[in-house]
Amino acid sequence: MMIQAKTRLKGSVQRLALTMLVVLLSACGASGAATPEGEDKIKVTTTVGMITDLVKQVGGGHVEVTGLMKAGVDPHLYKASHGDIELLEKADIIFYNGLHLEGKMAEIFEKMAKSKTTVAVTDGIDRSKLRTGAENGMDTEYDPHVWFDVKLWMKATEAIRDTLAEQDPEHAEDYRKNAEAYLGELTKLDEEVAAKIRSIPEPARVLVTAHDAFGYFGDAYGMKVMGLQGISTASEAGTKDVTDLRDYLVANKIKAVFIESSVPRKAIDAVIQGAKEQGHDLTIGGELFSDAMGEEGTPEGTYIGMVRHNADTIVNALK
Amino acid sequence: MSTFWIILTGALVASACGIVGCFLVLRRMALVGDAISHSVLPGIVIAFLISGSRDSLAMMLGAAAIGLVTVFLIQWFHQSGVQSDASIGVVFTALFAVGVVLVSLYTRHIDLDLDCVLYGEIAYVPWNTIELAGIDIGPKAVWGVGIALALILALLFLFYKQFKICSFDPAMAAAVGIPVALFHYLLMGLVSVTTVASFESVGAILVVGMLVVPPATAYLLTEKLGRMIAYSVAIGCASSVLGYGLASLLDASIAGCMIAVAGGLFLVALLFSPSHGVIFRKLRQKRMIRHRTAS
Repeated sequence: MMIQAKTRLKGSVQRLALTMLVVLLSACGASGAATPEGEDKIKVTTTVGMITDLVKQVGGGHVEVTGLMKAGVDPHLYKASHGDIELLEKADIIFYNGLHLEGKMAEIFEKMAKSKTTVAVTDGIDRSKLRTGAENGMDTEYDPHVWFDVKLWMKATEAIRDTLAEQDPEHAEDYRKNAEAYLGELTKLDEEVAAKIRSIPEPARVLVTAHDAFGYFGDAYGMKVMGLQGISTASEAGTKDVTDLRDYLVANKIKAVFIESSVPRKAIDAVIQGAKEQGHDLTIGGELFSDAMGEEGTPEGTYIGMVRHNADTIVNALK
Repeated sequence: MSTFWIILTGALVASACGIVGCFLVLRRMALVGDAISHSVLPGIVIAFLISGSRDSLAMMLGAAAIGLVTVFLIQWFHQSGVQSDASIGVVFTALFAVGVVLVSLYTRHIDLDLDCVLYGEIAYVPWNTIELAGIDIGPKAVWGVGIALALILALLFLFYKQFKICSFDPAMAAAVGIPVALFHYLLMGLVSVTTVASFESVGAILVVGMLVVPPATAYLLTEKLGRMIAYSVAIGCASSVLGYGLASLLDASIAGCMIAVAGGLFLVALLFSPSHGVIFRKLRQKRMIRHRTAS
């Protein structure tokens, strides 16, 4: 009797544990299946906000786009959450920047290309137009921050247009129309930024920021760009970098330096302090958006708004 | 299917780390995993400078080489009389610093940090599959960590007694003719291989956590090595399953949730363990006092 009761108890405990496991596992699976199917909208998942915005502009009402990295998130520090698996799994098309902006994630996207459409929006850009780490002879590694040259970002827009048209031929005409209108806006934006930067007296056209994201901006619009850190937001500024930069700013009487939305401002503060000690009054010209855009719903939450904000901030501070 | 692969990967990492972690906790070297997670930086910089690419194979080879150097130096310093915590601290900060210097000298303009080029993310495990002769044979992580686990199990099966004596009583081990140093290096080598293979697939926090937390929890529950290993693996696997559930509930980082659950289980064991638990110990003390005052 005792033994029987014991085994029965043991059995039921085991069954309970098993049921709990099954419930747990099925709950994980079910939470995804419950979301309603969007009426045959194309599901697009993107990485950075700049790409999310492009897809919204070109795709209009025919696509449902979700970005993995939210406003203000440094792509280098992005951590995947459980829901992101679903976003990637359910997506019909995945757009990412490429050029190693997404780090190891890009390898995953390349692997996924077997089962779904994954597109690096910078793939179509002529490699000769890209900035490299050439000073060390590493010319196969490119600077990924291409969106700061509006002309190059137009190429990314075209890549998105072509992919959407190919995957959804039914609405191809709409995508072309949307893209054409948006490319028109970008052309205007490009001219506007160029004109604004030209309004700064030439010797003052120096853009100093915390990390090297603005190389393309400098090349495209004729500014000397100096960054305190390397390309990666994780590398640290050396003391010599700080003093070199300070001496340059003092010698050339540059009025302002800039902080970035997704990078801490400590190192830049050190430069300002250093300049002050040498009797040069340096101010913070404002906050620039570099690797992430502003909050959704604000003007800076769109690509055009972000570029315009950056250009205005730079011009107002340096003029 | 992705759920299955992620939980399986979590359980494999938990098992591999849970086993070697027990020996590390007993030898007061639990933070070796954390040390390796930092010290591999010069490895990836050198691998990049040689290969010119941020390809994950090159990065992993560089990391594996420096991982072995790390554990070798830690073990060597320790045997030369430096305390274990100090030797871990010295080796990993010094190597990490070399890495920072190399980055600032040679690769300033290239995005080369551990998070970007070495550490994987358990959420992406299901898609990172490998093909053999054109056939998809499942996630790379499952194979990589699975092979590391098999290696651990094989060595443990062959030399369990030696590992055990070396961990508890190195002097006696030496007296009965066991090459203690060799087994220490072997264990540390295993730790290095396991952690670097796991970093590449699932990221640092999961590995460092699984190496310390489940073994420390198991240590509260038993004093027998065999049981400690079994408990440690069971706790690690339970943390993976429950952590995954928690992550899907909160829409949070999977590795983060797994280790948070492991931390929770540790707390439960600390309070309620029959032998070492805070509560039972208090009860026992009270009973003893009452017993004494009565007699």
